[in-house]
Amino acid sequence: MDACIICIGNRRSKMDDFGPRVYERLAAAPLPAGIRLVDGGLAGLDLLRYLESCSRAVFVDAVDGFAGPGELVVLSAAEVADQCIGGYDHGAGLPYLLRVLPRVLDVPVPVVTLVGHEGSADEQAVRIAARLATLIAGREDKDVR
Amino acid sequence: MASRIIRDLPFNRVEGDLEVSIEVSDGRITDAWSAGTLYRGFENMMKGRGPLDGLVMTPRICGICSTTHLTAAARALDAIAGLTPPDNAVRVRNVALMVEHMQSDVRQSVLMYMADFAHEAYRAHPLHAEALGRYAPAAGSSAIDAIRETKRLIEVIGLLGGQWPHSSFMVPGGIAFAPSLANVLQCRQIVGAFRAWYERRVLGCSIERWAAVGDGAALDAWLAERSEHRDGEVGFLLRFGRAAGLDAIGGGPGAFLSYGAFDLPRETAVAAAGGRLLAAGFASGTTIRPFDAGLVAEDVSHAWYRDHGALHPADGETAPYASGQAGRAYSWIKAPRYDGQVIETGPLAEAVVDGRPLFVDLVGAGRSSALVRQLARLTRPALLLPAVDAWLGELLSTHGAPIVAGEGHVPDGEGAGLVEAARGALGHWVRIADGRIAGYQIITPTAWNGSPRDAQGRRGAWEEAMIGIAVADPENPVEAGHVIRSFDPCLVCAVHAVRRRS
Repeated sequence: MDACIICIGNRRSKMDDFGPRVYERLAAAPLPAGIRLVDGGLAGLDLLRYLESCSRAVFVDAVDGFAGPGELVVLSAAEVADQCIGGYDHGAGLPYLLRVLPRVLDVPVPVVTLVGHEGSADEQAVRIAARLATLIAGREDKDVR
Repeated sequence: MASRIIRDLPFNRVEGDLEVSIEVSDGRITDAWSAGTLYRGFENMMKGRGPLDGLVMTPRICGICSTTHLTAAARALDAIAGLTPPDNAVRVRNVALMVEHMQSDVRQSVLMYMADFAHEAYRAHPLHAEALGRYAPAAGSSAIDAIRETKRLIEVIGLLGGQWPHSSFMVPGGIAFAPSLANVLQCRQIVGAFRAWYERRVLGCSIERWAAVGDGAALDAWLAERSEHRDGEVGFLLRFGRAAGLDAIGGGPGAFLSYGAFDLPRETAVAAAGGRLLAAGFASGTTIRPFDAGLVAEDVSHAWYRDHGALHPADGETAPYASGQAGRAYSWIKAPRYDGQVIETGPLAEAVVDGRPLFVDLVGAGRSSALVRQLARLTRPALLLPAVDAWLGELLSTHGAPIVAGEGHVPDGEGAGLVEAARGALGHWVRIADGRIAGYQIITPTAWNGSPRDAQGRRGAWEEAMIGIAVADPENPVEAGHVIRSFDPCLVCAVHAVRRRS
């Protein structure tokens, strides 16, 4: 199976438009063979189907509380899932998705990594995150930090 | 009389941009205020854009009901252009919208509403241990089952529309392309698998058996009939909900509105009165009257907008204005009213307006409640699934038939796209002038149900539904939570950043 870069967020909200901006940058140029790019938007749980067709998944999203303002951070699936503090809601995002992932997939669970950005992002951060996500998606080694 | 106001209740599955405050006197809720705390402003984003931009922009209003917004936007353009989509476009539009409804109905019921049954406030409830096993967050058997069995439904939209998420396959007069026979066959397989699970685990019986439940007495008989009925999600909802008293709270305003939905193709095996699977109408109690779109108006007297009196959405505006309104305005949600009345919308309203016997009997007997409202939602797929199956079959047998009318041009003019979203009546009112969008007003179901007070001081639907509820623990009013969640408030689709838990 191939790798998947899934950019999530809301391009209409300054607080949450990092993923869509990285998507637009990645979509503007060809990606290495075997890497699929997904504009995940606000799809939440409905991104499950994309995780059933890849062996590695790299999410790109805005984060809050993991690093200093303007910094990028790379988190493992377990670290993100650990942020799930309750049940499902209309705003259920990546933490809930990754918490339930092992129990709801019909195929082996892919290696999941999150490239997150804290606070407002400039174009340099978008460029670096796009490059980082591509590198992680293309690596065989799951420990990319 | 001991009285206190509790602000910003901890409704952990409607948190974020909904704040609810209640006044409790002698253990009962005596007043309530519901505030939407987030200004979206999509209406203003639309102005000056090309006529087709609503098809791309407005589905991003919501991550759950994006197909509904796409449908409303397309229907508004159909109306402006004077186009009637061909039968196969109607079928594809309908099926895409219906699978979105069905996924939402099951997930909201199991993952949000019945998740409360596992709350520690019910530790003394005789069914609490079973509720924990079913609905414990991210672990209960029913919760996991619901995610597994609904995850493929949305794929139908991708197969029919060529893309999901961010589908924009509906165009003025129809759809952008015809799905292949292979894709339609794949849709049938997905829907068939969902139907088998829904009948086995949610209803505990066939859809045909459920459809025969025609009144309250028949519902009781159905529940007693077989263990499969009692053990299904519907049966557990009834058993737990009745024992918890949810059938006695949250009756709502007693007036119901449905815009109707799912136009019938001109040639189809699906039968329904009035040319649509779900009828449009207004019901006061169970007295049904025809729907008149001219009677819709938005009151902003208690919202943070410039106030020119109640306006029909075709003449409406969305002009944020918070200055000088301290103590009066308390929400970013406007207050839509129908013929000046507070109404509720959603699956229960659809059922009453559509004259479905079970819900007409329950509401007519004065038994409208948070439980009945939720029952209507969890059993709505039983109405939709046979039509989905029929229309997918007709797409196979009529493959190659036209899918679009007209040439895509949208002239200057005005039109409305009215449709039933998963949560109820959704309307897009669009005005095109000089080839650009000159006006765009949207009224969502949550605006109807979660509105603030109007100029006459009348509470919104779920504000009113909370009045009189006995609250065991004012610090943790799960009773009020049940009532609000039975309306399925949808307010938090805007921001999804991964937050570190504190």
